Amino acid sequence: MEPTKAQQEANNDKLRDKSVGAIEQSNTASDELDIDAILAGDKPAFEQLVIQESPRLFRVIVRILNDDDEAQSILQETFLQAYQRIHTFRRESKLTTWLYAIGINLARATLRKSRRLSSLEDQDVERLQPSFSRGMFVDSPVEWDPGRMADLSDRKRIVRKAIEKLAPDYKAIVILRDMEEYSTEEVAKMLGISSGAVRVRLHRARQALRELLNPHFKKEAART
Amino acid sequence: MKIVTLIKTMLGLAPNCEKVNQFLGDYMDGSLPENLRTQFEEHIAMCKCCKPYMEQYQRTIEWTHDCRCNELPEELVEHTISFLRKNADYPQS
Ligand SMILES: [Zn+2]
Repeated sequence: MEPTKAQQEANNDKLRDKSVGAIEQSNTASDELDIDAILAGDKPAFEQLVIQESPRLFRVIVRILNDDDEAQSILQETFLQAYQRIHTFRRESKLTTWLYAIGINLARATLRKSRRLSSLEDQDVERLQPSFSRGMFVDSPVEWDPGRMADLSDRKRIVRKAIEKLAPDYKAIVILRDMEEYSTEEVAKMLGISSGAVRVRLHRARQALRELLNPHFKKEAART
Repeated sequence: MKIVTLIKTMLGLAPNCEKVNQFLGDYMDGSLPENLRTQFEEHIAMCKCCKPYMEQYQRTIEWTHDCRCNELPEELVEHTISFLRKNADYPQS
């Protein structure tokens, strides 16, 4: 159904109103979506999905890619593909989960193509896990220094850098679970893996991150 | 470590550090069964290694959340919509 000019203008007004508080809305407004209309190819209904989900989906993609411009173009491509493939949506998951799966796949493919040098491989993540001998830590963890942890802007920079380093599969899981707080089951559907695999990889990713942060925050035995 | 817990650990009746480490994720999201949770907490409270490790693990989760990107590019939604209007082949019905 091609919308009339009046419908189009009404939609533009809605768009202007919504984009202001879009971050807050994106988490709560899922009941506003008219899924049947979206599936029928209705343009204003689909644009409502764009208005509602763009901010949160952008946040996920930009953290995976670490590049604003690239993230914007992947976001646009995601909605384009979603629109063109809407007939393949089977209602086995939430529409937003299906949408995020498309976006995350596109972002990961871009990341793999560019082969960022800073990114760790899966084996490196394994090497960052704590080692145990007869059930005990091989290297006893050292406490972190409250003074070093207090500098908020410095801390954010360090943590972002560490997340950026993670291998793509681990990075996506950390972003979806710990940053955006999607449930294990939703993340599993978005990534097309089992909930068990999400749990295992999330734990490894967190431990790898902790290990990457450790040199920045641990108390020095004797500082000169 | 309290002597009772230490002996229990040595006899394999209470979890050691490696086992506790495996439970960490489940403990954090509250999916660890009651009996294991008690053993887990007893160990953490007394272990010089697991206590700081768990605090750092928890901090890592919180700090990751703090790194959410809160600044969106200007007119992000508008740009996406105009891109779609230009490129998407909206079907007529
Ligand atoms: Zn321990």
